[in-house]
Amino acid sequence: MGDFDTDAVLVSRALAGSDAAFSRLVERHQAAVRGFLRRLLGGGWAEADDVAQEAFLAGWASLRSLREPAGFRAWLCGIAWRKAQDRIRALRRGAARDSTWLETVETPPGVSQEDRLALAGAMADLSPDVRACVALCLADGWSHGEAALALGLPLGTVKSHVNRGRARLLNALGGSDDA
Amino acid sequence: MTPDRKLAALFAAEAPPARDLAFQAAVARRIAARRAWMTVGALVPWVIAATALLWGLSPVVAQLADSMAVALEPVAMVLVTALVAGLAARWLSRRFSAV
Repeated sequence: MGDFDTDAVLVSRALAGSDAAFSRLVERHQAAVRGFLRRLLGGGWAEADDVAQEAFLAGWASLRSLREPAGFRAWLCGIAWRKAQDRIRALRRGAARDSTWLETVETPPGVSQEDRLALAGAMADLSPDVRACVALCLADGWSHGEAALALGLPLGTVKSHVNRGRARLLNALGGSDDA
Repeated sequence: MTPDRKLAALFAAEAPPARDLAFQAAVARRIAARRAWMTVGALVPWVIAATALLWGLSPVVAQLADSMAVALEPVAMVLVTALVAGLAARWLSRRFSAV
Protein backbone atom coordinates (compact mmCIF):
# COMPACT_ATOMS: atom_id res chain seq x y z
CA MET A 1 0.00 0.00 0.00
CA GLY A 2 1.71 3.16 -1.19
CA ASP A 3 2.28 6.31 0.81
CA PHE A 4 0.67 8.34 -1.94
CA ASP A 5 -2.76 6.78 -1.88
CA THR A 6 -5.36 9.45 -1.25
CA ASP A 7 -7.70 9.31 1.72
CA ALA A 8 -10.55 8.53 -0.67
CA VAL A 9 -8.71 5.45 -2.01
CA LEU A 10 -7.84 4.27 1.50
CA VAL A 11 -11.41 4.78 2.68
CA SER A 12 -12.78 2.74 -0.22
CA ARG A 13 -10.30 -0.06 0.56
CA ALA A 14 -11.16 0.07 4.25
CA LEU A 15 -14.85 -0.15 3.34
CA ALA A 16 -14.02 -3.26 1.33
CA GLY A 17 -12.60 -4.80 4.52
CA SER A 18 -8.93 -3.84 4.39
CA ASP A 19 -7.55 -3.35 7.90
CA ALA A 20 -4.24 -2.29 6.37
CA ALA A 21 -5.95 0.61 4.63
CA PHE A 22 -7.61 1.78 7.82
CA SER A 23 -4.32 1.41 9.66
CA ARG A 24 -2.76 3.69 7.05
CA LEU A 25 -5.50 6.24 7.70
CA VAL A 26 -4.77 6.02 11.43
CA GLU A 27 -1.08 6.53 10.77
CA ARG A 28 -1.77 9.53 8.55
CA HIS A 29 -4.23 11.34 10.83
CA GLN A 30 -3.31 10.34 14.37
CA ALA A 31 -1.14 13.39 14.93
CA ALA A 32 -3.92 15.79 13.91
CA VAL A 33 -6.58 14.11 16.01
CA ARG A 34 -4.38 13.65 19.07
CA GLY A 35 -2.98 17.18 18.86
CA PHE A 36 -6.50 18.59 18.62
CA LEU A 37 -7.64 16.57 21.65
CA ARG A 38 -4.56 17.41 23.71
CA ARG A 39 -5.22 21.11 23.29
CA LEU A 40 -8.93 20.72 23.77
CA LEU A 41 -8.90 18.53 26.85
CA GLY A 42 -5.71 19.70 28.52
CA GLY A 43 -4.70 17.65 31.53
CA GLY A 44 -2.62 14.53 30.99
CA TRP A 45 -2.12 13.44 27.42
CA ALA A 46 -3.14 9.86 28.22
CA GLU A 47 -6.76 10.94 28.44
CA ALA A 48 -6.60 12.75 25.11
CA ASP A 49 -5.01 9.68 23.52
CA ASP A 50 -7.74 7.48 24.98
CA VAL A 51 -10.43 9.69 23.45
CA ALA A 52 -8.49 9.66 20.17
CA GLN A 53 -8.53 5.85 20.16
CA GLU A 54 -12.27 5.90 20.82
CA ALA A 55 -12.71 8.33 17.94
CA PHE A 56 -10.77 6.11 15.52
CA LEU A 57 -12.75 3.09 16.67
CA ALA A 58 -16.04 4.94 16.17
CA GLY A 59 -14.77 6.09 12.78
CA TRP A 60 -14.01 2.51 11.79
CA ALA A 61 -17.44 1.35 12.91
CA SER A 62 -19.31 4.10 11.07
CA LEU A 63 -17.12 4.47 8.00
CA ARG A 64 -20.11 3.82 5.74
CA SER A 65 -21.71 7.05 6.94
CA LEU A 66 -18.80 9.09 5.54
CA ARG A 67 -20.27 10.87 2.52
CA GLU A 68 -17.11 12.52 1.21
CA PRO A 69 -14.12 10.20 1.65
CA ALA A 70 -11.74 13.05 0.77
CA GLY A 71 -12.93 14.85 3.90
CA PHE A 72 -11.89 12.01 6.18
CA ARG A 73 -9.79 14.20 8.49
CA ALA A 74 -12.56 16.74 9.16
CA TRP A 75 -15.11 13.94 9.60
CA LEU A 76 -12.87 12.14 12.07
CA CYS A 77 -12.13 15.30 14.04
CA GLY A 78 -15.89 15.87 14.19
CA ILE A 79 -16.23 12.47 15.85
CA ALA A 80 -13.33 13.31 18.19
CA TRP A 81 -14.99 16.64 19.01
CA ARG A 82 -18.24 14.93 20.03
CA LYS A 83 -16.37 12.35 22.09
CA ALA A 84 -14.40 15.12 23.78
CA GLN A 85 -17.58 17.03 24.59
CA ASP A 86 -18.96 13.91 26.28
CA ARG A 87 -15.73 13.53 28.22
CA ILE A 88 -15.73 17.20 29.27
CA ARG A 89 -19.30 16.91 30.49
CA ALA A 90 -18.54 13.68 32.32
CA LEU A 91 -15.49 15.01 34.09
CA ARG A 92 -16.89 18.51 34.69
CA ARG A 93 -13.75 19.99 33.34
CA GLY A 94 -13.38 23.54 32.10
CA ALA A 95 -11.78 26.05 34.39
CA ALA A 96 -10.63 23.52 36.97
CA ARG A 97 -8.36 21.51 34.71
CA ASP A 98 -5.43 19.80 36.32
CA SER A 99 -2.22 21.62 35.42
CA THR A 100 0.27 19.64 37.51
CA TRP A 101 1.11 17.50 34.46
CA LEU A 102 2.59 20.60 32.82
CA GLU A 103 5.56 20.44 35.13
CA THR A 104 6.61 17.16 33.54
CA VAL A 105 6.41 18.48 29.98
CA GLU A 106 9.48 19.94 28.37
CA THR A 107 9.21 23.69 27.81
CA PRO A 108 10.34 24.95 24.39
CA PRO A 109 13.40 27.22 24.28
CA GLY A 110 12.62 30.88 24.82
CA VAL A 111 9.41 30.13 26.71
CA SER A 112 9.20 30.12 30.48
CA GLN A 113 7.31 27.68 32.63
CA GLU A 114 5.15 30.60 33.74
CA ASP A 115 4.16 31.21 30.12
CA ARG A 116 3.23 27.58 29.76
CA LEU A 117 1.09 27.69 32.88
CA ALA A 118 -0.47 30.97 31.78
CA LEU A 119 -1.39 29.45 28.40
CA ALA A 120 -2.85 26.35 30.06
CA GLY A 121 -4.89 28.54 32.38
CA ALA A 122 -6.11 30.74 29.54
CA MET A 123 -7.04 27.70 27.44
CA ALA A 124 -8.95 26.27 30.39
CA ASP A 125 -10.87 29.52 30.77
CA LEU A 126 -12.07 29.39 27.16
CA SER A 127 -15.37 27.67 26.47
CA PRO A 128 -15.02 24.26 24.77
CA ASP A 129 -16.28 25.66 21.44
CA VAL A 130 -13.71 28.46 21.43
CA ARG A 131 -10.98 26.08 22.58
CA ALA A 132 -11.79 23.66 19.76
CA CYS A 133 -11.66 26.46 17.16
CA VAL A 134 -8.36 27.70 18.56
CA ALA A 135 -6.91 24.18 18.64
CA LEU A 136 -7.78 23.51 15.01
CA CYS A 137 -7.21 26.90 13.36
CA LEU A 138 -4.42 28.44 15.41
CA ALA A 139 -2.48 25.38 16.52
CA ASP A 140 -2.99 23.06 13.55
CA GLY A 141 -3.46 25.64 10.81
CA TRP A 142 -6.85 24.42 9.60
CA SER A 143 -8.91 26.75 7.45
CA HIS A 144 -11.98 28.26 9.09
CA GLY A 145 -14.18 26.39 6.63
CA GLU A 146 -12.68 23.01 7.43
CA ALA A 147 -12.95 23.68 11.17
CA ALA A 148 -16.59 24.74 10.73
CA LEU A 149 -17.26 21.48 8.89
CA ALA A 150 -15.55 19.36 11.54
CA LEU A 151 -17.12 21.08 14.53
CA GLY A 152 -20.57 21.58 13.01
CA LEU A 153 -20.45 25.32 13.68
CA PRO A 154 -21.33 28.23 11.35
CA LEU A 155 -18.34 29.74 9.56
CA GLY A 156 -18.86 33.16 11.13
CA THR A 157 -18.95 31.63 14.59
CA VAL A 158 -15.66 29.84 13.97
CA LYS A 159 -14.03 33.07 12.82
CA SER A 160 -15.20 35.01 15.85
CA HIS A 161 -14.22 32.16 18.20
CA VAL A 162 -10.72 32.07 16.73
CA ASN A 163 -10.28 35.83 16.99
CA ARG A 164 -11.60 35.97 20.53
CA GLY A 165 -9.58 32.96 21.65
CA ARG A 166 -6.39 34.24 20.08
CA ALA A 167 -6.79 37.61 21.78
CA ARG A 168 -7.25 36.02 25.17
CA LEU A 169 -4.31 33.66 24.75
CA LEU A 170 -2.00 36.44 23.61
CA ASN A 171 -3.17 38.56 26.51
CA ALA A 172 -2.27 35.74 28.89
CA LEU A 173 1.19 35.58 27.33
CA GLY A 174 1.76 39.27 27.87
CA GLY A 175 0.48 40.61 24.57
CA SER A 176 -2.31 42.97 23.64
CA ASP A 177 -5.85 41.59 23.79
CA ASP A 178 -7.21 43.81 21.03
CA ALA A 179 -6.74 41.27 18.23
CA MET B 1 10.14 36.44 22.11
CA THR B 2 6.78 37.93 21.10
CA PRO B 3 3.53 36.51 22.50
CA ASP B 4 2.66 35.28 19.01
CA ARG B 5 5.86 33.24 18.81
CA LYS B 6 5.44 31.97 22.33
CA LEU B 7 1.97 30.79 21.43
CA ALA B 8 3.22 29.02 18.31
CA ALA B 9 6.09 27.39 20.24
CA LEU B 10 3.81 26.18 23.02
CA PHE B 11 1.30 24.76 20.56
CA ALA B 12 4.12 23.03 18.69
CA ALA B 13 5.40 21.50 21.93
CA GLU B 14 2.07 19.74 22.39
CA ALA B 15 2.07 18.23 18.90
CA PRO B 16 2.24 14.43 18.84
CA PRO B 17 4.89 12.72 16.68
CA ALA B 18 4.03 12.27 13.00
CA ARG B 19 4.29 8.49 13.43
CA ASP B 20 3.48 6.58 16.59
CA LEU B 21 3.46 2.80 16.25
CA ALA B 22 2.30 2.29 19.85
CA PHE B 23 -0.80 4.40 19.23
CA GLN B 24 -1.50 2.64 15.94
CA ALA B 25 -1.15 -0.74 17.65
CA ALA B 26 -3.55 0.34 20.40
CA VAL B 27 -6.15 1.37 17.82
CA ALA B 28 -5.65 -1.89 15.90
CA ARG B 29 -6.09 -3.86 19.14
CA ARG B 30 -9.37 -2.07 19.91
CA ILE B 31 -10.61 -2.66 16.38
CA ALA B 32 -9.73 -6.37 16.61
CA ALA B 33 -11.59 -6.66 19.92
CA ARG B 34 -14.63 -4.87 18.48
CA ARG B 35 -14.56 -7.12 15.41
CA ALA B 36 -14.41 -10.21 17.66
CA TRP B 37 -17.46 -9.03 19.61
CA MET B 38 -19.29 -8.24 16.38
CA THR B 39 -18.53 -11.76 15.13
CA VAL B 40 -19.85 -13.26 18.36
CA GLY B 41 -22.94 -11.07 18.10
CA ALA B 42 -23.52 -12.16 14.51
CA LEU B 43 -23.21 -15.85 15.47
CA VAL B 44 -25.66 -15.70 18.36
CA PRO B 45 -28.87 -15.83 16.21
CA TRP B 46 -27.47 -18.74 14.22
CA VAL B 47 -26.58 -20.66 17.39
CA ILE B 48 -30.06 -20.03 18.78
CA ALA B 49 -31.66 -21.17 15.50
CA ALA B 50 -29.49 -24.31 15.35
CA THR B 51 -30.30 -25.14 18.98
CA ALA B 52 -34.02 -24.71 18.36
CA LEU B 53 -33.82 -26.84 15.21
CA LEU B 54 -31.98 -29.66 17.00
CA TRP B 55 -34.39 -29.46 19.92
CA GLY B 56 -37.30 -29.74 17.50
CA LEU B 57 -35.70 -32.67 15.68
CA SER B 58 -34.53 -34.49 18.79
CA PRO B 59 -37.32 -37.15 18.76
CA VAL B 60 -36.58 -38.02 15.12
CA VAL B 61 -32.82 -37.99 15.70
CA ALA B 62 -33.14 -40.22 18.78
CA GLN B 63 -35.24 -42.75 16.84
CA LEU B 64 -32.78 -42.71 13.95
CA ALA B 65 -29.84 -43.20 16.31
CA ASP B 66 -31.53 -46.17 17.98
CA SER B 67 -32.25 -47.90 14.67
CA MET B 68 -28.78 -47.24 13.32
CA ALA B 69 -27.11 -48.45 16.50
CA VAL B 70 -28.25 -52.04 15.82
CA ALA B 71 -26.64 -52.02 12.40
CA LEU B 72 -23.54 -50.08 13.30
CA GLU B 73 -22.64 -51.81 16.56
CA PRO B 74 -20.67 -54.73 15.04
CA VAL B 75 -18.93 -52.41 12.59
CA ALA B 76 -18.00 -50.05 15.40
CA MET B 77 -16.59 -52.90 17.46
CA VAL B 78 -14.43 -54.04 14.56
CA LEU B 79 -13.22 -50.50 13.93
CA VAL B 80 -12.39 -49.90 17.61
CA THR B 81 -10.53 -53.22 17.81
CA ALA B 82 -8.58 -52.37 14.66
CA LEU B 83 -7.78 -48.92 16.02
CA VAL B 84 -6.54 -50.26 19.35
CA ALA B 85 -4.47 -52.93 17.58
CA GLY B 86 -2.98 -50.35 15.25
CA LEU B 87 -2.06 -47.99 18.08
CA ALA B 88 -0.55 -50.84 20.08
CA ALA B 89 1.47 -52.02 17.07
CA ARG B 90 2.73 -48.51 16.46
CA TRP B 91 3.71 -48.03 20.09
CA LEU B 92 5.46 -51.41 20.22
CA SER B 93 7.37 -50.83 16.98
CA ARG B 94 8.62 -47.44 18.28
CA ARG B 95 9.43 -48.90 21.67
CA PHE B 96 11.61 -51.70 20.29
CA SER B 97 13.12 -49.86 17.36
CA ALA B 98 14.54 -47.34 19.84
CA VAL B 99 16.49 -50.03 21.75
